[in-house]
Amino acid sequence: MSTHDEKTDDGSAKPERTVSRRDFLRVTGGVAGAALLAACGATPASPSGAASGQTAASASTDAGTTGGATAAAVQATQAPAAAAGGAAGDVQFWDMVWGPPAYIDTAKKVVQQFTQANPNIKASYQSNPWSSWPQVFTTAVGSGTAPDVSTGGGYQAIQFYPQGAILEIDDVVASFKPDDFLPNQIEGMKFNGHYVALPWGIDIRIPFYRKDLFDKAGVKPPTNWDEMRAGLKKLTSGNQYGIAFPGNDNAAWQGMWGLVINNGGGLFTADRKLDVMNDRTVEALTFISNLVKDGVVHPGSAGFSGDDMTKAFSSGSVGMVIFVPGTEERVTPNVKQNVELLAPMTGPHGDKGTLLFSNNLMVYKQTKNPDATKSFLKWWSANSLPIWTEGKCGNLPARTSIAKDPYFQNNIYLKRILDEWVPIGKLTGTRSSGTFPALADIDMGGMMKTLATDILQGQDVKASLQKLETTLKGLKTLQS
Amino acid sequence: MSTRAIPSHSQELRPPRRSLPFDAFPFILLLPSALLIALINIYPFATGFYYSLQSGTLLQSGDFVGLANFIQLFRMADFRHALWFSAIFAIFSVFGSWAIGLLLALFLNMDIPARGFFRVALLLPWIIPSIVSVVSWRWLISDQSGLVNVMLQAIGLKPIYFLSTGSLATFSVIVVKIWRSFPFMMLSILAALQTLNRESYEAAAIDGAGRWQSFRYITMPHLLPISFVLWILMTIWSVNDFETPWLLTQGGPSNATENLSVLAYRYTFNLNDVGIGAAISFFTMLLLMIFAITLLSRQRET
Repeated sequence: MSTHDEKTDDGSAKPERTVSRRDFLRVTGGVAGAALLAACGATPASPSGAASGQTAASASTDAGTTGGATAAAVQATQAPAAAAGGAAGDVQFWDMVWGPPAYIDTAKKVVQQFTQANPNIKASYQSNPWSSWPQVFTTAVGSGTAPDVSTGGGYQAIQFYPQGAILEIDDVVASFKPDDFLPNQIEGMKFNGHYVALPWGIDIRIPFYRKDLFDKAGVKPPTNWDEMRAGLKKLTSGNQYGIAFPGNDNAAWQGMWGLVINNGGGLFTADRKLDVMNDRTVEALTFISNLVKDGVVHPGSAGFSGDDMTKAFSSGSVGMVIFVPGTEERVTPNVKQNVELLAPMTGPHGDKGTLLFSNNLMVYKQTKNPDATKSFLKWWSANSLPIWTEGKCGNLPARTSIAKDPYFQNNIYLKRILDEWVPIGKLTGTRSSGTFPALADIDMGGMMKTLATDILQGQDVKASLQKLETTLKGLKTLQS
Repeated sequence: MSTRAIPSHSQELRPPRRSLPFDAFPFILLLPSALLIALINIYPFATGFYYSLQSGTLLQSGDFVGLANFIQLFRMADFRHALWFSAIFAIFSVFGSWAIGLLLALFLNMDIPARGFFRVALLLPWIIPSIVSVVSWRWLISDQSGLVNVMLQAIGLKPIYFLSTGSLATFSVIVVKIWRSFPFMMLSILAALQTLNRESYEAAAIDGAGRWQSFRYITMPHLLPISFVLWILMTIWSVNDFETPWLLTQGGPSNATENLSVLAYRYTFNLNDVGIGAAISFFTMLLLMIFAITLLSRQRET
């Protein structure tokens, strides 16, 4: 069956509906979804943003602070219904699990607050586990049962947008002031001149170290790569190793890519041309490869899950990890006091930086109530503070107004991440800007995980990068 | 007494014959089942084949590309590796689980104390849901605080990171698969053993045959037909096994334990390339069909 492009009302290209395929998905969507939920019981490799989304990150919750924050949020919800601009109808909101069980209850409560503040719009909440992501969205969109709006990974909107599933939200973005969001957040949602999602949560890769182990080995927190290599060598002794990566999780390549960006490297040129073998990327990965050769990388790394790695970090088998915000909450309580955040290191050429993801809040084209859905989108973006203060969301807020809340400012870890690391964070597509479909493939396709485990197993860096380059050249999203 | 006065139940239901040259009634009875099979088997099968001849994604049809996706498969290094790993995984899993199943079946076929208990206990790996058993295996072997490494360290050995190199991960995935599969082999072989006439052994003993000769010339020939069937079934289940490699290693490290099922999943859902994903699935099915037909033909010859 041939496919023709047609124009939608907003002028964007829209593929003709393929009746047989969608009908098939419609019939089988529910069954497939249920089967996948059952089959994929284990947490899959975390997509961008998912790793910290699953973190039970919790800043210290000063009662007064939290109470104040909640009060502020409630006050915000009591804004006149005029905020909805007269929109009415049902809005179905699908949310991923971005925190501990308390997160889901809090998010439900915030949705109820929206309905109270906007009586003409009835919003409903559905929580989706990461174990069924992204299949549940694929089957929902394919079977015509997509939600009106959802949260999702850092490249979820751009994954579905070329397939005609995502509604552009240029008008929503235009209603915000530029400084409503932290730097680079809004622009990271732009593709071909259109905004395909709203950033709501920031995930970022940061080095954490065990202060007690560093002190015992006489190592000072490194400020550059030479100091890091020397320090990790000193830390390594017997069953204790300098650093570990979780090779069975996307967090391994994401941690390594933090160092690639720290060296000014990346996968693309500024005009989105593939540039895998550039000197800076090769240099950064060679540095990690040398750490493996030095014997300072935990030998179990290639098979570690994120939990395995944090367990090794907590038990003192590892002195340093590059992981997600909230890592300090993953160790045992008596170890937490010894977990410190490293200040951004200076790369060999004077660069600073790390890998950052902007998790998406997106509207689906299947929505029957686009105005009501956009009203919800704006409201959620501005009023979702309780998902952090009460729900212990693992992401950091993309909104400046939320990030200024005492909940973040009074927590030493979160404040330092927001002040020191977020401003130098860059997206996977760096050194290009914006977002584009290939980034979804790169994020989820497994080729970056293969690169990381190749390096962790001591394979040649250039050969591993050439293998990656061959795979990337075969991606249809990079050929079009 | 005439039976004509009371028509049989089938005669009551049978519709009056019309002009059809054959009796349509049995086919009408089969129709619901046939429709159900068409819905849950033939339609997805045909749709899957249709996908394999196209580019595009699950949500958006691409162009008709003929057999290009199938040709592309053989240019893909990850497909060639998945094919190789699937073969290794199947061969070792099938014969490993068969050998263990055979030994245990022979053991359970003897008059031993607590035989009923052993029969139930040895079935447990087959009964436990795969998500529970494979994740438990992962906890046992994944890091230095897993039970296996704790025991190794307790006797003065260094920990072994079973999932951290390609060869060790391959070994581990096969061991877990064998552990999950041997009870089925054991149960099937035990059932076959229990149909074996003991008089054959007595006659052989009178003729001077030892235990080994009885096993080789009586037991094994008797078990060969069921073994052929078990090898075919277990090969199909091994090649199609998604959960063991996925839950244990997600196909890693460096794709070392990625079989054809995991590869098809990765292309379909993670890379949104349903054409390649469907082509991998179809190729796998054809491969298994050829294997099963060959082995069944060989069985008939034997």
